[in-house]
Amino acid sequence: MGFREINSKMVEATVVPGQRLFSQRGAMLAYKGDVSFTPSIQGGQGGVMSMIGRRVAGEATPLMSVEGSGTVFFGHGGHHIQVITLAGDTLYVEADRLLAFEGTLQQGTMFMGSQGGVMGMVRGQVTGQGLFTTTLKGHGAVAVMAHGGVLEIPISPQRPVHVDPQAYVAHHGDVRNKLSTALGWREMVGRGSGEGFQLELSGTGVVYVQASEEKL
Amino acid sequence: MSVVHDPMTLPADDNVNAYTFCVELKGSQWFLQKGKMIAYYGAIEFNGVGHGRLDRLVRTSFHSPLHASDWVVAEGSGKMLLADRAFDVNSYDLDDGNLTIRSGNLLAFQPSLALKQSIVPGFLTLIGTGKFVAASNGPVVFMEPPIRVDPQALVGWADCPSPCHHYDHGYLTGVMGGLRAMTGLGGVSGEEHQFEFVGAGTVLLQSSEALMPELAAGAVPQEPGVPGGTGGSGGHGAHAGAPRLPGQLGDLQRRFGL
Repeated sequence: MGFREINSKMVEATVVPGQRLFSQRGAMLAYKGDVSFTPSIQGGQGGVMSMIGRRVAGEATPLMSVEGSGTVFFGHGGHHIQVITLAGDTLYVEADRLLAFEGTLQQGTMFMGSQGGVMGMVRGQVTGQGLFTTTLKGHGAVAVMAHGGVLEIPISPQRPVHVDPQAYVAHHGDVRNKLSTALGWREMVGRGSGEGFQLELSGTGVVYVQASEEKL
Repeated sequence: MSVVHDPMTLPADDNVNAYTFCVELKGSQWFLQKGKMIAYYGAIEFNGVGHGRLDRLVRTSFHSPLHASDWVVAEGSGKMLLADRAFDVNSYDLDDGNLTIRSGNLLAFQPSLALKQSIVPGFLTLIGTGKFVAASNGPVVFMEPPIRVDPQALVGWADCPSPCHHYDHGYLTGVMGGLRAMTGLGGVSGEEHQFEFVGAGTVLLQSSEALMPELAAGAVPQEPGVPGGTGGSGGHGAHAGAPRLPGQLGDLQRRFGL
């Protein structure tokens, strides 16, 4: 299982009976074998309550479930694709960026305010994540989309990483993030450097950064 | 990467980088799609396909009146560079073969190939021996049939005898499916229709045909004191038009440089 990268914009997944995949609707490029694509009403996993949760949170991206036996190729909008393999930890990512993920992963929605209260909510606004973000937890692989190539930057306790909020894609691991501001009088008079806000990530884990400040 | 090219060091009929292809003309002719030439060295003449002097050429190798207005003939000697929307560009050689390609993806071809309209709308078929240049969003992936392909992701195919449509809406059958089809609840998967390829041959795939919306680069910002600032397509332009009361501060966002 897992995703095999064919090139920077296309991944291949093997589907076997009994193990399903979720993918963004319309993201299938081609397939071999006997595979069916069913639009998932619930927009993912976890029953009706999680569906309602996702709808309320605005994290209900149109997903479909992929089942059967064969090989499926995924790609979307010419975006670059990063495959992230999770081994028990939690990935925080915007729902729009999810290209495909394995059904073995637990999908959830997280309130930004639960990490740092009001500042967490402000952070969500600045990064364009909104008040909620999607979490994926467990063992399995995720294919995440980004505009431009993706950099994988490790975070270690001694070395926090500062990321431009617009270039932030996802992170996983035991990471605390906070919004650091570098605002001075220049910003107040409209002569700022344009880098007034940064996302500071500390702890142990990995953050994925795209080589573009374009939102998806 | 940072090599400065001149007419001598430019490759002949080869890629300069992943996004640019260089064609060498020595009194010969190439067909190319309008607007795909980005630069050239030497004496090259570009004429529309309908140009009188090229009538014979058109008779022998251009059999696609529907697309005639999109194509020009380059003739002369020199080197010309081809590129398209930052797509990956590659050349392919046909040896007494046939290949069908999405019309928008074909950039240029040698007149030794014959261009014909495919039966499938929006596709062109090249027959014969020669070189052609095609663009794709991301590198082209070659696949063996049997395979089903999303129409958006299809670049073309070679030697496949039977491209056909495949419709798949199994999830719209049964009681739940009927409910779904009637109410529209649950949406569609967007994967109900594919092109199916069977038999011997090769299918060419790309990541997507879709493009990011174009953003103006290098536009003069609309700010006080900037001459000629007519407002680019930046996010600030929308706010700038709003009337502001005297003494009021500008938008917080703009002040923070967001």
